[in-house]
Amino acid sequence: MDWQARVHDALAGSRLEPDPGVVEELAQHLAAMYQAARADGCSHDEADRRVAGQLDLWRRDAAAFRPRAALAPAVEPLSTVPSPALVSSVQEIRYAARLLMRQPHFALLAIVTMTLGIGLSAVLFSVAYGVLMKPLPWPDADRLVVLKETRGGLAPRFQAFTNAAYLAWRDEASALDELAAWSTGNVTLTGAGDPVRIQITEATASLFRVLGVGPLIGAVFEDADEATPVVVLSESLWRERFGASPDALGRSISFNGTPYTIVGVVPDRVSYPDHRSRAWIPFHVRPTAGDQLSMFHAVAKLRAGVTPAQAAAEGTARGRFVPDTGLTATAIFGSSGPVEISATPLREALTGEVRRPLLVLLGAVLLLLALAASNVAGLQLARATARRRELAIRAALGASHARVLRQLIAESLLLGLAGGAAGLALAWVAHQALPAVLPSDFPRLADLSIDPTVVLFVAGVSIVTSVAFGVLPALHVRRLDLVRALAEDGVSPTGVSGRSGVAAARRLIVAGQVAIACVLLVGAVLLGRTFFALLHADRGFDPSSVLSARLSMPGPVYTSATRDVVLRQIVARLLAVPGVREAAVTSEHPLAPGGSSGGFVLPPRHASGQPIAVQASPRLVSAQYFAVLGLRVLAGRSFAETDSATSQPVVIVNDSFARRYLGETPVGTRLPGDFWNLGDRPEATVIGVVEDVTYVAAPEASQPEMYFLLDQFGGRVVPPTATLLVRADGDPRRFASIVGDVVRESDDALVAELVMTLEDRLRATTLVRPRLYAILLGAFAGLALMLTGVGLFAVLSYVFAQRTRELGVRAALGASQIHLVQLVVRQGLGIATIGVAAGLLTSLVAARALSVLLYGVQPYDASTYVIVAGAVLMVAVVACIVPAYRAARLDPLRALRAGG
Amino acid sequence: MGTMLARELKRGSTELLILALLEECDRHGYEIARLIDERSRGAISFHVASLYPTLYRLEDKGLIQGRWVEKAGQRRRRYYRLTAAGRRTLASQRSLWEGFFEALNRVARVRHA
Repeated sequence: MDWQARVHDALAGSRLEPDPGVVEELAQHLAAMYQAARADGCSHDEADRRVAGQLDLWRRDAAAFRPRAALAPAVEPLSTVPSPALVSSVQEIRYAARLLMRQPHFALLAIVTMTLGIGLSAVLFSVAYGVLMKPLPWPDADRLVVLKETRGGLAPRFQAFTNAAYLAWRDEASALDELAAWSTGNVTLTGAGDPVRIQITEATASLFRVLGVGPLIGAVFEDADEATPVVVLSESLWRERFGASPDALGRSISFNGTPYTIVGVVPDRVSYPDHRSRAWIPFHVRPTAGDQLSMFHAVAKLRAGVTPAQAAAEGTARGRFVPDTGLTATAIFGSSGPVEISATPLREALTGEVRRPLLVLLGAVLLLLALAASNVAGLQLARATARRRELAIRAALGASHARVLRQLIAESLLLGLAGGAAGLALAWVAHQALPAVLPSDFPRLADLSIDPTVVLFVAGVSIVTSVAFGVLPALHVRRLDLVRALAEDGVSPTGVSGRSGVAAARRLIVAGQVAIACVLLVGAVLLGRTFFALLHADRGFDPSSVLSARLSMPGPVYTSATRDVVLRQIVARLLAVPGVREAAVTSEHPLAPGGSSGGFVLPPRHASGQPIAVQASPRLVSAQYFAVLGLRVLAGRSFAETDSATSQPVVIVNDSFARRYLGETPVGTRLPGDFWNLGDRPEATVIGVVEDVTYVAAPEASQPEMYFLLDQFGGRVVPPTATLLVRADGDPRRFASIVGDVVRESDDALVAELVMTLEDRLRATTLVRPRLYAILLGAFAGLALMLTGVGLFAVLSYVFAQRTRELGVRAALGASQIHLVQLVVRQGLGIATIGVAAGLLTSLVAARALSVLLYGVQPYDASTYVIVAGAVLMVAVVACIVPAYRAARLDPLRALRAGG
Repeated sequence: MGTMLARELKRGSTELLILALLEECDRHGYEIARLIDERSRGAISFHVASLYPTLYRLEDKGLIQGRWVEKAGQRRRRYYRLTAAGRRTLASQRSLWEGFFEALNRVARVRHA
């Protein structure tokens, strides 16, 4: 390809020797022309023909190319030579922007893909960061610990710490700076706007010192205030009910009718235990009197340099000196063994439960981001080959390899940063919806925000992904092999088709995407099955057929007697409603374990045996309780009309109680009949044994329970909060409004709260988080599948376009339509199969991370993997449809002529 | 008459195009040819045969100046630069063309893009 020689020959016709400078210049022109033609897709012959044509023209005009005055070559910078790197970068960015605007579809697709990927990652990162990594809002938070007490190795049925252990330690705590006690409860607030139920916290004054919390206005209460009725409001309550006015100080409000004086307001940021507590009232830890133990939560600040383990050891040692409260301890702890204290750092206590799910979700969303970025990389690769003319010309014009690389990266950066900015906006919008989506007891909800760390994360991720998907096409553009490498991708003669570097890279990318989609899908299916397993686990009753409602009748407005009257009326009215089969009330909700606890001793079963220490939950129920829930009677009988306030006291126990504590004939055993300090109740006789209620996803599946009949107490012990249960014909939800009406009719000040089926109640309480995780991971998997389907479709179309000529030849040689379709489908399924295999293998390894979150399904559950493989392959088949259709409709003549 | 006028027009416009392209920055022959082709969207694909003679003619007239430039690691290429005289000619040629179009517009309502 000696251009100079050819030019020389062409011009040498005239008498004069062609000017060597002219020859050189024209030769360069020809070389550039040839390269451009080849880059355009011309064959060597065609390009040569063009050049020859040009030479002819020059030859005819040879006289114009007279010798010129030779000028010495200059080695000086041109005015076109770039200027300092910064200016050229700006140039490149402007050029890149212009280029992108000329291809709006590509740019939009790439930006939208990145926005989705980056936005979702940003939201999840902000939650993970806010919950797990952000410093706690209290000073010296790493010295704060949550204290728990156990006896004989057993945890208490409710709360976490006894006054006995607290007082034994408080005055001689050398490992602690401060020790504080608190507990929360719901009260009705009056005296500041409409009455409303809010959650408040009782706490010792030391709580504010432990947390280092100071007031916004006014003061927090001191130790001396512990006996006085003062209250500290949360900032949000103060704003809501007092318009953030300083006049609130000194005003009086009432909780359940008891007045309190406002002395201060604390900022929301430092609310403890969480943002749901809207006020704090003083709490005084009383010494144990007789057998009484009071329970609460305890938190402490370690002395500098003391470890939690050391503090726990000290607490345990002090715990040796607690007074013996025998049966009360058994009732609460299940044992009256020695006290043992544990100390857990506050951060871990608050967030430990959600750490694993959050990290899993964060991993999933980053996989999704990788998928989105690889989609854009595939798009860039396709575009790179379409731009070969432009790239070849730039190279021919002397652009250095580095310059071309920089330009490609500039484009990618523009796309990535645009996607990042839009993703950040998307994340901000999603953040506004977070409080509605996350359960209200999710830790550190108040600390979640789009703060500078999140912005930094978005910027970093945008840049990294831009470079990642920009580098790929840039690597493909090697100046020296430019013509050859690009020609490989041009429409080549039959044979070397689809094997080019670009096609192979794109196929690999899609296989990777399929693998990622598989992993996400496996996770989603496992979590989804967990949720359904939890929902439909055998609880001993069917939660979808029972409607429940909470009735709050606090004192002093209500007394036991008035409550009794109201509840009877409600039950009677409900039973009169057509369609209602059974209605009952109970002191404790049947869905969650725990509840009240009683401890006592039974005489030994045999003469030589030991007395039996019993810990069981005593419950007050109405007669139709078991019928409403559908719990079968296993021995003896259920409550009957004959059991009344004047007849013999009776009790029914559940199967767990009978098996654990009673002998072969449980019916007839005498149990204590008074767990409510009435003082005059004789023993109750066991008349029957019922099926257990199974508490799913609880440490113990069932617990011993005793059921006493409300009727027998003549209205003397009716708890302030009772649960109403209704079973009706058909869908119980239809009766929700009827229940509300009946309650209001019976007492116009009473409102039925949380009226919903037990199943809905499960969804709203115990199952909130499993449901959330399943939904989130399912959404990610769905998106992944969609992106992968699109990616697969794009790569198949690309490969098909590359192989048009080859397929045309095959068709001309007699290949049937079916054969051509098979070719395309085989290629598509081939990629998908490799991806699925890789994905399932990775899932096997990754599923271990999920095992603590699963219920009712194993991480290696075969049916899950089969389902996922099937779903992904089906998506692959769908992605093949259009390219296969095109293959079937191929016109051999057109195909052969294409790119000739 | 038509062919001669066309030829004159073409020649004049070619010179104007080259001067205008060099006003932005220095360029070499192939680049000029390609830019004219691209920017006019192919409408003015004059014979490249006349490009170099035109360049040389302009150089002889002193309106442009060509030099060999050698960049590190590359072959030397011939770049052309607009001279001061060239700038003045360009300005006057431009106003001539603009006047021409204005006249055309007044007479026949022909507008230029």
